[in-house]
Amino acid sequence: MAANLSHAATSGFGPIGRRLLVVGIILLALLVTLAPFFVLFGNSLRPADEFLSDKSGLWPSQLTFEYYAAVLSANGTTFRILLNSVIVTAATTVIAVTTGCLVAYGLARLKLPFRLSTIIGLTFLIVRFYPKITIAIPYFVLMRDFGLRDTYAAVVIAHVSMTLPIVVWLMLAFFEDFPKQLEQSAMMDGCGILRRFFSIVLPLTVPAIATAALLTAFFSWNEFLFASAVGPLNAKTLPVEISGFITDKGTVWGPMSAMGTVIVLPVMVLALIAQRYLVRGLTAGAVKG
Amino acid sequence: MWVSRTVWGFADWLESKIGERGILIAFIVPAVAIVVVAQFYPLLYSFYISLVDWTLSRSTEPGDFVGLANYTKMASDSVLIQAVGRTIWFGLASTAAQIVLGFILAYLTMGETLALRVARTILILPMVIAPVAVGTIWRMMLSARVGPVNQVLRNLGIPTPDWLGDPTLAMVSIVIIDVWEWTPFVFVIFAAALSSLPSEVLKAAEVDGATPWQILRMVILPMLAPVGLLVVMFRLLDALLTLDIVFTTTFGGPGFATHTLSFWIYQQGLRYFNISYAAAISWASLIGCMLLVAGLLVWRARISRWQKEA
Repeated sequence: MAANLSHAATSGFGPIGRRLLVVGIILLALLVTLAPFFVLFGNSLRPADEFLSDKSGLWPSQLTFEYYAAVLSANGTTFRILLNSVIVTAATTVIAVTTGCLVAYGLARLKLPFRLSTIIGLTFLIVRFYPKITIAIPYFVLMRDFGLRDTYAAVVIAHVSMTLPIVVWLMLAFFEDFPKQLEQSAMMDGCGILRRFFSIVLPLTVPAIATAALLTAFFSWNEFLFASAVGPLNAKTLPVEISGFITDKGTVWGPMSAMGTVIVLPVMVLALIAQRYLVRGLTAGAVKG
Repeated sequence: MWVSRTVWGFADWLESKIGERGILIAFIVPAVAIVVVAQFYPLLYSFYISLVDWTLSRSTEPGDFVGLANYTKMASDSVLIQAVGRTIWFGLASTAAQIVLGFILAYLTMGETLALRVARTILILPMVIAPVAVGTIWRMMLSARVGPVNQVLRNLGIPTPDWLGDPTLAMVSIVIIDVWEWTPFVFVIFAAALSSLPSEVLKAAEVDGATPWQILRMVILPMLAPVGLLVVMFRLLDALLTLDIVFTTTFGGPGFATHTLSFWIYQQGLRYFNISYAAAISWASLIGCMLLVAGLLVWRARISRWQKEA
């Protein structure tokens, strides 16, 4: 079926020409997708003097690991920033997934008057639809007033509040589809709602939780606007640090590429490994709804 | 295990105290509290800020109430007016390119062979990495003298432009980068939508002797229209508010050539600390975005109703 259909775009050529054209387009797309990553990795290993020449090839002729040594050395400031990123991402993921699962289950099971459950669910969705920059400045003032400016908490709370909508909508769909009989038979056996939720429902929703955790972790690891607004020094994360390469330090490609690789590579590897969960998360809602 | 006995014992005790409803309500409270405190309260607070006179570098407390003065100021801000035009142009151009490319790639990579599955996985990568990293990578790619893009062009004997340094070309470069980063989003949604099309309908069309072109035009594209509109909505919204790429490639330059709406709000608010004015611009753009969402959703509802009738 699919093979037949994909001929449609190229009908007009002979069968072999058609196939070659399709394969050619896909290969070109793969090249355009991967080449920038290749350049990033190459530049992160390129000795400093090679950057100045426009004759140097796309891949360095000699490899150096000095930039990575600087990024990853435990005494350096960059290592502290890397650690910040790990802490913020881990905390965001744990808090967003935990509170998100609870609220989704609550909304799916609780019978509130005036369809209040649906209304609360929809208000979560609103967060996805307004410009985040509207919030950034007042959030900055709010955190200053709370005395939380430049703390992990300020960055983590911002990230949790922005990822909760994704988690809630993923989990809500799962809990609503969850077979009621399973919970009912446990109820007959005298299981309270807490026992049912933690020992029956939750273990069966692990795939959905993995999807939610993956999306949350990626978001937090990559987020720039709020991290730069409320965590400028002590709670600085990698995306904020790398954005500084353009403004105050001039262009320092080697260290910049090494840091870029440290930001990009873990996400790439995880995305490739957990591809199925990722796609499910990215397409949830859009296709069904 | 005494630990688990204690935990479950506590759970049962709690439930006997506050009941099933009480527990479910307790489940809802933390997440709602976080979103209210960190999103909705700042949202309303920013509206309040937009109505007072407050420059953070001069005063740590909000100043006098000035009504809509911050909003009327926008009309005489020529940087802003140009930024709005530029942002709309950018949003439409990059969204259109992404829809076309994303659909073509989804359509051509349909199928379950291993090679196609691997290709689909790789094609997603640009959208999952950090936008600031995308900007960083492309600043190197497009560097005028030593960038790989110009190296390749030079070897092919094609003129090598200063992609990010030329005032007219810089915004085009931002479009190219945005297309590289977000075509995967359109692609992944369309790929999922294509694989969930009812195969009976496609088979029936084929049995009736429809050519692949006809099936594409008359069966597949109409069935994908509602999803397509949703994708357009997401992409337009995000494109209109793009900040990270501008921030890490051109930083608004050269001159004001790549000042987009979000970049100007960021500059006003977090660089010059004119937070009242920044809040006014962001509320105006929020209202614009809401109107856009509403318009597209109404349009989508009309299309699906029309499809049901047909």
